[in-house]
Amino acid sequence: MQQNFPIRTSEIALVSIVDVSLSSIVQFGDRGEATPKLKALAVQRAIDHTKAGSVYFESYPIFSRPLPKLVDPEAEAGYDVCIQRVNHCPRIKVGCVYVTAVGSTASFLAGNAMRTTAESRIKHIRQYEKSLIEIR
Amino acid sequence: MLNFTVHNCGLTVGSIEILGVSAASMFQIGDSDYVTLYSMFDTPPESVIAGPIAPLPTPEDEEQAAGEAPMAG
Repeated sequence: MQQNFPIRTSEIALVSIVDVSLSSIVQFGDRGEATPKLKALAVQRAIDHTKAGSVYFESYPIFSRPLPKLVDPEAEAGYDVCIQRVNHCPRIKVGCVYVTAVGSTASFLAGNAMRTTAESRIKHIRQYEKSLIEIR
Repeated sequence: MLNFTVHNCGLTVGSIEILGVSAASMFQIGDSDYVTLYSMFDTPPESVIAGPIAPLPTPEDEEQAAGEAPMAG
């Protein structure tokens, strides 16, 4: 007779995290749904910030383009996949976990989740000053 | 209909070292039903501009656009 535990619990001895930033999640325990989102414009220009003017998300199509859809002809044809999980052991044991950085809608989760939908859109602009005519 | 059965036997891990979990990534010790991770990162080599500095483009409806707070001075 095989034992089946409905859920598994996670046991961790030690967790060490240095940095958590930009819509990231660190969670100990179970969760239903998480939808972290990030829009970032990283501007690095050789100009004074007071003279550079504003930057707008609306100027760049990366922030408004639709999310890609999963194309799965098998599922559309009705060939569904029925997943069944059998947990023979009620826990996951982990010793020490060392993480340096968690960033940009990433998540660190010790526990169970039902649904996670993370979205990060990052646009970099790097501009260096250079004259069109060479000045000697 | 395809039946897929997963048998989770005992799982024990000694230690884990991670430098970074970044841009819509996920590190989980546990079970998940649905995971969807989107990441758009726009930094091609061409994104480096070397030339005379001109103001960055403004969108058509600038008044309604969600820009950064105006700088003092």
